[in-house]
Amino acid sequence: MTDHPSTADDPRPLEAWGRSSYLPSTTTHDGERYVRVTRGMVLTPLRVVGWLALLVLFVAVPDIASLSSSIQLRVLHQGVLFGLAAVGLNVLLRHTKLVSFGHAAFFGTGAYTAGVLATHFDVTSMILLLAAATLIGTLMAGVIGFLSLRHTGLYFSLLTLAFGQLLYAIAQGQSYVGGSDGISVRPGDANQATLLGADLAPDVYAVVVYYLTVLVVVVALFVMWRIVNSPFGNALDAIGQDRTRAQFIGIPVRRYVLAAFVLSGVYGALAGGMYGLVQQHVRPESTLYFLRSGEILFMAILGGFGTLIGPLVGGIVLVFLQDVGQDFTNYFDALTGLVLVLLVFGFPRGIVGSLQSGSPLRDRAGALVDDPSVAGDWVQDGADALVAALSRAKRNLVVLVFGVR
Amino acid sequence: MVVDVANFATHTLNGIQYGFILFLIASGLTIILGILDVLNLAHGELYAVGAYVAFSVYGYATGLVAAPEGVVGLAVFLVVALLAAAVAAAVLIPLGVLLEALFLRPLYGRDEVYQLVLTFGLLLILKDVNKFIWGPLPVRAGDVYSGINAIPAAEFVGLNFPTFKLVIIAVGALVVVGLFYFFNRTKMGRIIRATAIDREMATAIGVSTDRTFTLVFAMGAFFAGFAGAMALPQSQANLEMGANPLVLSFVVIVIGGLGSLRGAFVGAMLVGVLSRWAVWQYPPAEIAAPFAIMALILLVKPNGLFGTWGETA
Repeated sequence: MTDHPSTADDPRPLEAWGRSSYLPSTTTHDGERYVRVTRGMVLTPLRVVGWLALLVLFVAVPDIASLSSSIQLRVLHQGVLFGLAAVGLNVLLRHTKLVSFGHAAFFGTGAYTAGVLATHFDVTSMILLLAAATLIGTLMAGVIGFLSLRHTGLYFSLLTLAFGQLLYAIAQGQSYVGGSDGISVRPGDANQATLLGADLAPDVYAVVVYYLTVLVVVVALFVMWRIVNSPFGNALDAIGQDRTRAQFIGIPVRRYVLAAFVLSGVYGALAGGMYGLVQQHVRPESTLYFLRSGEILFMAILGGFGTLIGPLVGGIVLVFLQDVGQDFTNYFDALTGLVLVLLVFGFPRGIVGSLQSGSPLRDRAGALVDDPSVAGDWVQDGADALVAALSRAKRNLVVLVFGVR
Repeated sequence: MVVDVANFATHTLNGIQYGFILFLIASGLTIILGILDVLNLAHGELYAVGAYVAFSVYGYATGLVAAPEGVVGLAVFLVVALLAAAVAAAVLIPLGVLLEALFLRPLYGRDEVYQLVLTFGLLLILKDVNKFIWGPLPVRAGDVYSGINAIPAAEFVGLNFPTFKLVIIAVGALVVVGLFYFFNRTKMGRIIRATAIDREMATAIGVSTDRTFTLVFAMGAFFAGFAGAMALPQSQANLEMGANPLVLSFVVIVIGGLGSLRGAFVGAMLVGVLSRWAVWQYPPAEIAAPFAIMALILLVKPNGLFGTWGETA
């Protein structure tokens, strides 16, 4: 899903792949067999198998979680939701090259909308709660986007951060939404939302909400794939490369960027609404705080912000890492920090990006397989670089303190 | 409604001392941003490290002075406390040099996203280093606070205001004057500004940008640590203390204009005083006030109050 053959495997334009049918079929090209899933999405059989395996794994999570106590459905579920928000953020990061540092605002808006409707208006339908969460989050994204997209670069990042913190402050201060205690999402007699009018037992509820999430995520990924491969997505790429040039060739930059911002807000709000349904309680700390915004951003980068599903993977990995780290050591924050530092220096394309062909990590792995002795050279190089950096630091410190001798 | 003059003065002074603390933090952030082009998310943790180190140094230093009595005793106590704060902040210099040389240097010129990730990683690591050394419980240095407050400075004008906060104002003002003198009048300061204006040109005329970057980062770390050391006695050092100052100093530097030192000063004072007034008149506004100020100012002046730093300090 991440790339279609017109960019990755095959130089021919998409039109050459035939557009007769909307149903999945197979095509042959250069003697190789490809599976044509839908218009524009043509994959090698291996990839199709890979995607199906991933999907099965995704669907089977509740069963896997029941096998081992170290894997918890709740944790994975949370990771998937933050990952979904990160997929939304990635529209801005990957295509328009805008670093949003306030994405928790939409996540939190979605979650709080669900909470307020459930607590104060007795809305019990899951679908309604989600729809309202998405709607309000979209409006919020429109307002924040309109105000902050007047700027680019760091100003944009800091403005989105400020708006996020403003919402956090409001949520903290208003007793209507429960102040710092937060608000619960427990409508109905069974203290939880209903799906199509059906009340669910607590353990069934968790699994049902999970499957709803899987459905939402699959659809959301597909929609995102469509969008980024549409002319609109290409226009966003052009804007990200050079705003002025995009303006000159007639792309309505401000409108498009705002549209991308709102789109990313929709994903965040949807994920936030689901989060409210899953956790059944929404706190400002866990949904609106600026560290959450940072985490959503880092999920996208950890998973690989050059890819479509990277942010989702990053979300699952980061949340899982934090949860496991909490059991394993008191210093789980440092563990996460270490992972981020390694990420920057070791595999800057993120997890998914590093697995793709042509990435530095793949090249290195290939070289290692060819000749294992290069590992020694790398260790030597790394040690040399470390020693050089340390000695430069020492020299600079001496110069700073004592002046030049 | 009659505004109580004494009350007003107290809250304004509170705001000014808060503004100076903010300025100390934000000045480091803004010069690092202006010259290295790096938004240092770990800056708040450097502030926290400063506070923790100060806790240990204060404990040692005040142990040297017996319970202060009389004018001379109090004066000695004041001097020792200030020296301790400076020593604590000085510990941040080698730390800053090390961080810059090992982690930041390979990142110059790379996508700014990686700088954010890296400094965020450093933030998390430094936080746990604090936890490892000083433990998860908050620490405080109440002795220093009560000791310095024993000097009855504000009572001369009939105000009931802690002397320690007056000390912060005095020291902060000194630092402001010193910084502006440094950047406007000294050779080193001009070299730094030249590097900020045009990195390539500065290299061409023989400025070691390598060393300048290290110096700037170490300076930023020093002032963050100094702010931590000065802020510690009136509150406490805990593991979460870095986050709030970090976000507030973002606000400050955005209000002032990214990378502008003068802007950082004006922004810090605005945020400090206005937010204390807001707390006084309507307490729930405490967290929201700085962001509301920032949004307002950016709507009127999209690039902040002062432009980019370099041409003028």
